[in-house]
Amino acid sequence: MSTVTPEQPGTPPGGFIAGVGRRATSGGVVSQIVVPIAAVATALVVGGVLIALDGTNAFSAYREVLRAVFVGKRGLSDTATAATPLILIGLGYSIAYRARVFTIGGEGQYLIGAIAGTAWVTAGGIRTWPGFSLVLTGLIVAAIAGAAWSGIAGWLEVRFGANVVISSLMLVYVAGSVLQWAVRTGIRDPDSFVPNSRPLLAAQLPRLPGTHTHIGFAIAIVLVPIAAVFMARHRGGFRVIATGFNPNALDANEVSKKKIVLLVMVIAGALAGLAGMVETAGSTGRLGAAASVGFGFEAIIVAMVGRLHPIGVAVAALGLAGLTIGFESTQRVLDVPSTLVGVITALIVVFVVIGDALANRGREGR
Amino acid sequence: MDVLLKIATLEAAIRLSIPVALAALGALISERTGVLNLGLEGMMLSGAFAGYMANEVTGSPWVGLLAGIVVGCGFGALLALAVVTIRANQVVTGIAFTLLASSGTTYLFQLKYSIGQKPPRVDRLGMPPLVALTLVCVFALWFLFQRTTIGLAMAATGESPEAADALGYRVVRLRWIAAIIGGGLAGLGGAALTCGPLGLFIRDVTAGRGWVALALVVFAGWRPGMAVAGAFLFGLCDASQLRLQGTKTDIPYEVFLALPYVVTLAALVLRARASRTPSALAVPFVRGVH
Amino acid sequence: MVEANGTSLVEMRGIHRHFGDTHALRGVDLTLRAGEIHALLGSNGAGKTTLVRILAGLDRPDEGTVSVGGELVERFDPKRMRAMGVALVQQHFTLVPTLTASENLVLARPDGWRRGPGRSESARLAQLIARTGLAVRDDVPAGRLSVGEQQRLELLRALDADARVLLLDEPTAVLTDQEAESLLSVCRTLAAEGRALAFISHRLAEVFDGADRVTVLAEGREVVRDEPVANHTRSSLASAMIGHESSGMFTDRGGRDGSRVDARLVLSEIEVGRLKSINLSVAGGEIVGVAGVDGNGQSDLEAAVSARVAMKVGKVELDGVALIPGNPRSRRTRGLAYIPSDRYQFGLVGSMDLSDNLDLGRVPRWRRSRTKRRAGRVDELALWDVRTSGPGARASSLSGGNAQKLVLARELDGTPKAVLACYPTRGLDPGAADSVAARLVRCANEGAAVLWIGAELDELLAVADRIVVLAGGRLLGPFFPPFDRAAIGLAMAGESHEVTVP
Repeated sequence: MSTVTPEQPGTPPGGFIAGVGRRATSGGVVSQIVVPIAAVATALVVGGVLIALDGTNAFSAYREVLRAVFVGKRGLSDTATAATPLILIGLGYSIAYRARVFTIGGEGQYLIGAIAGTAWVTAGGIRTWPGFSLVLTGLIVAAIAGAAWSGIAGWLEVRFGANVVISSLMLVYVAGSVLQWAVRTGIRDPDSFVPNSRPLLAAQLPRLPGTHTHIGFAIAIVLVPIAAVFMARHRGGFRVIATGFNPNALDANEVSKKKIVLLVMVIAGALAGLAGMVETAGSTGRLGAAASVGFGFEAIIVAMVGRLHPIGVAVAALGLAGLTIGFESTQRVLDVPSTLVGVITALIVVFVVIGDALANRGREGR
Repeated sequence: MDVLLKIATLEAAIRLSIPVALAALGALISERTGVLNLGLEGMMLSGAFAGYMANEVTGSPWVGLLAGIVVGCGFGALLALAVVTIRANQVVTGIAFTLLASSGTTYLFQLKYSIGQKPPRVDRLGMPPLVALTLVCVFALWFLFQRTTIGLAMAATGESPEAADALGYRVVRLRWIAAIIGGGLAGLGGAALTCGPLGLFIRDVTAGRGWVALALVVFAGWRPGMAVAGAFLFGLCDASQLRLQGTKTDIPYEVFLALPYVVTLAALVLRARASRTPSALAVPFVRGVH
Repeated sequence: MVEANGTSLVEMRGIHRHFGDTHALRGVDLTLRAGEIHALLGSNGAGKTTLVRILAGLDRPDEGTVSVGGELVERFDPKRMRAMGVALVQQHFTLVPTLTASENLVLARPDGWRRGPGRSESARLAQLIARTGLAVRDDVPAGRLSVGEQQRLELLRALDADARVLLLDEPTAVLTDQEAESLLSVCRTLAAEGRALAFISHRLAEVFDGADRVTVLAEGREVVRDEPVANHTRSSLASAMIGHESSGMFTDRGGRDGSRVDARLVLSEIEVGRLKSINLSVAGGEIVGVAGVDGNGQSDLEAAVSARVAMKVGKVELDGVALIPGNPRSRRTRGLAYIPSDRYQFGLVGSMDLSDNLDLGRVPRWRRSRTKRRAGRVDELALWDVRTSGPGARASSLSGGNAQKLVLARELDGTPKAVLACYPTRGLDPGAADSVAARLVRCANEGAAVLWIGAELDELLAVADRIVVLAGGRLLGPFFPPFDRAAIGLAMAGESHEVTVP
C-alpha cells in the first residue's frame, strides 16, 4: 500500500495538492480561491434543499444560523471556542498533507494529549502547583504525548512501509480504549460515581479578557502565522513541500525523506495533542468517557477546505465552527437536525476535491 | 462447559468476521484493478444503514442485504466517477466519501428516529446463509482472477494500465466495473452487519471495520483466500474481546477492546513490505502519458 | 527473398499530427512492402515513434490516410489494427510484468471469456516457441525475464496474432551487440516469410546490416523518402538525420594533459543490488567511462556512488573521506556533484520553481522572500544558459536540455572535487548534448574526478580517458585509447575475461 505514500515516485501530482503553490498561474487562482468558495456555496444549497425537504424554510434556517453566530449572546465567543481545536489539528494536517503524508489519526492524538495532560495536572504532588506552571506544563506534556502517538504511525511507515492512512486510524481506536481505561481506572476521580478524571481546577485555561472564550483560542491564532512562516521561510517548510512534490529528488539531494515523514507526523501529533489538552482545560474542565467528539475528523475538512495554508485553515475552522454553533441554535429554534452540519461540511470536501480535479483537467487541456 | 465456550467463541468469530471479509474482498477487487478505495468504511456504513432501513420497512433481511449491495454499488460508481473519470486524488476522495457517509447516515438516522426514540430491532439472518454467501464471493473472486479473461485484464490494468490499453482493453471501463463491484461488496458487508448478527443500526456502527478491511488486503497480499483468513483473525480477536469483557481477569477489559485494532496494525506492519502492491494502485490513467 | 514479395502492405499518405503547439508530423508518407525491412531514422523528436504509434492504432493522424493490405483504416484502435495484422513492439515493453509469458499471450489474444488451467496456457506458448525458435521461459513473471527474453516474448506475441506487419521501436537500444545481431537475423527470416518489417533506430550500422530501404525524418518531415539503403553511405544518412555531417560532438577535449591528482574518487569492494565487489579509482582530471547495457547493475552503481543507498559491503571515498549513505547534504559539502540518470525523478522537483530547484541540497535554515530568492538566481541561470521565462518558472516547464543545464548549474557550482554523471546526455538534442559534455570535460580539466556512466558507446569513446564495462554486476576492463570497439562490445555482452580494475 505504499503507493499512496510519498514513496511512490511516478505519481502525478493530482488532486488538491496540485493546486498548492501554483498561485502564480491563472489556474492556481481557480484552484486556490474559486473552488473552495464554489464548493461551500454548492454544499450550502444542497443543505438548504435537505432542510426544505424536511419541511422547514431553508432561508429562515440559514438566517437563524447567522443570527446565532453574529447577533446571539456569546455567539462569536462560542464560535472561537469551537474553532480552537479545529485550527490546531487542522494546522498539523495541513503541514503533513503538503508532504503528501495523509494522516487521519488526529482524533487519537487529541485523546492521548488530553489524557496525558490531564494525568499530569491532576497527579498528586503536581496538582497543587501554581496555576501558570500547571497550565504550561500540562500543555507541553499533552503536545509531547500527541507527538509520540502520531510518531508511532510515522515510524511504522518509514520502518515497515505500513500505510499511514490506515495505521494512524487504527491508533485512533486504540487511543479510544486508552481513554476508557484512563477515566475508569487510571486517572479516575475517586470521589466521582461516573468515570471521570479529577476536575482540572487551577490547571484550567484562563479566559481571554473581555470574551467568553479561553486563551487556547489565542494560542491557536498565534500559531497560524508561525506555521505560515515555517512553511514559507524555513528550511523545514521547503523540505516538507519538496517531499510532497518529489520525495526522491529531496532524498537524493537534501535530506532523507523518511526524516520528513517523521517530522510532519510529529508536528501534526503535537498540535493535535495540544488541542486535546486545550479543549479539556479550556472547555470541559475535566476528562470524561465521552471526550472523543470528532474534532480530529472535522479538522481533515478544515485542512482541505483551507487549501493546506495556515490562514486558510483558520478561516475554514472559524467557518465550520460558526456553522456548528449556528445549527445548534437552529435545532433548538426550528427543529432542524444539527447533524446536518456534518453532511454540509462533508459535501464541501467532496466538492473541493472534485472541483480541484476538474480545474486540473481544464488546465491540462485534456 | 469449556468446550461450549470455545465453540461459542469460534461461532462468534466467524459471525464477526463476515462483514470484514466481504468488505476486504470489495477492496481487493478494486485495488487489483488499480483503484484505491479509502471510501470503504463509508460504503460499509451506507450499506449497513440501507440494509437496516430496507429490512425494517419490508421485514425481510434478504431485501436488506440487497439494499446494501445497491447502495454500495451506487457509492462505488460515484467513486469511479470521481477518481477514474475526473481523476481526483484517490486518497483524499476516499477519506471525503467516508466522512460524507458517516455524517449522512447519522443525519438520516436522526431524521427517522429523533434523539431518545429507540429504533426497533429487525429480523436477523442466521449464520449459515451469511457464511455461504461469503464463501460464494471468495470463490467468485478466485474464479474471476484465475479463470477468466476479464479478471486477467483487470489484474493487468492494476499492474500496467498502459499495457492493457495497448492491447485494446478499456482501462477506464474495467476500473469502473471493479469500483462498482467493490462498492457493492462493501455495502453487502455493512448490510451483513445490521441484518446479520446485530439486527440494529447505531451511529458509526461499522466502527472502523472498513479500515480494518483495507489493512487486511495488504496483509493478504491481494489474494482473496488470505483476505478472508485475515478477516477471520480479526473476528477471533473481536470475539475474544467480547467474551473476555464479561469475565473477571486482572487485565483491564480495555486491552481487549483495543486488541482487534492492535492485531490489525500488527498484521499490516508484518506484511507491508512482503506483499507486492499493484504498481498502478491509486495512479490515474491518462492515455499517452507514461 | 521470395520474389512474390514486394507487394505493398502498408500505405501511409500525407500524415499530419499536432500535439498542442507542436507539429510532430508534417505530411509524411510511408510504404511498407512484404519481404522488406524498412529502417526509420531520425534524431529525437523527429516524429518516428508517433508515426509507428499511428500505424499501430495507438494514436490517430490529424490529416492523411492509412491503408493496410489495400484496406483503408477508418478507426484508429489498437485492437482493430492488430486484427488487420499490424503489431508493434514498443521501446517500453507492453508486457505485464507480474504475469508469466503464457499469461501475457492469453491477455493479448484470449480464447473466449474463460481461461483454461495454467497447463493448457503453457502448452500454447510451447507450441509457438517450437514453431518460431524464439526461446522464452514461462516459470517466472515477465518482469524477471532478461531484456532480450522480454523482447522475444513481444515478438512471439506479435507472431501469435499472425502479424503481417511488424513494427519495432528501437529494438536494439537495450540489447548487446551480439543480441542485436541475432535479432536482426530473426528479422530477416520473418521478412523472408512474406512479412513487412519496419524498425526505428539510431544506429547507422544496423541499418546497413539489416535494412533494405530507409526513410529519414527530421522535424516531422521526410528528408530521405523510401530509398534503397544501397543508395546511401553512413555519412549521407548521418547528415540527413542531423542536418550537418557531424555535430562536432566532443571533438575538443580542451587539451587535457597528464597533470592528474591520484585517486580522488575511490570505490572499494562495493556490494549492493546486482553489484559484486566493485573496485575502481578515478584520478583528479580523469574521465572514466562506464560502458554497458542498462540493467547490468548501472542503477545500483549510481545509487551507491551517489550515497543514496547504504551498501552491504564496501565504501565510496572522496579524497580519503568516506561518503555517508542517506545524508545527501554531506555528499555536496564533501564535493561530489551528482548528475542523475533520471533528472526528473532524482534531480529536480518539477512542480517547484527554478530558484527552489537551485536551492535543493543547499537551502539555508532561514530563506529570503520569494521575490528576493528569484531575483538572486537570474545571473546564475544566464551563466549556465538555461533558457526560460525566468527563475519563477516551474522546472517541469523546461525542455530536456534546459532541465539538464539546471541540474548542472546546481551540481557543478563551486568546483566539485568529483562528478558522478549518469547518462548525462540522454534524451538531449545534439546541440544540448554537446554543451553538457563540454561542461563535464571542463570539470575534469579543472581537476575533478569524473565517473561517467553512459549508454552510447560512441560518446564514451570520444570523452573518456579510460573505459570500464559493467556487465552482470562486475566491472570488466579497463580499456585505454585508442579504444578497441570490438573488445569493449564483447565485454558488454559479458563475454570478456575479467580483469581487475586498478
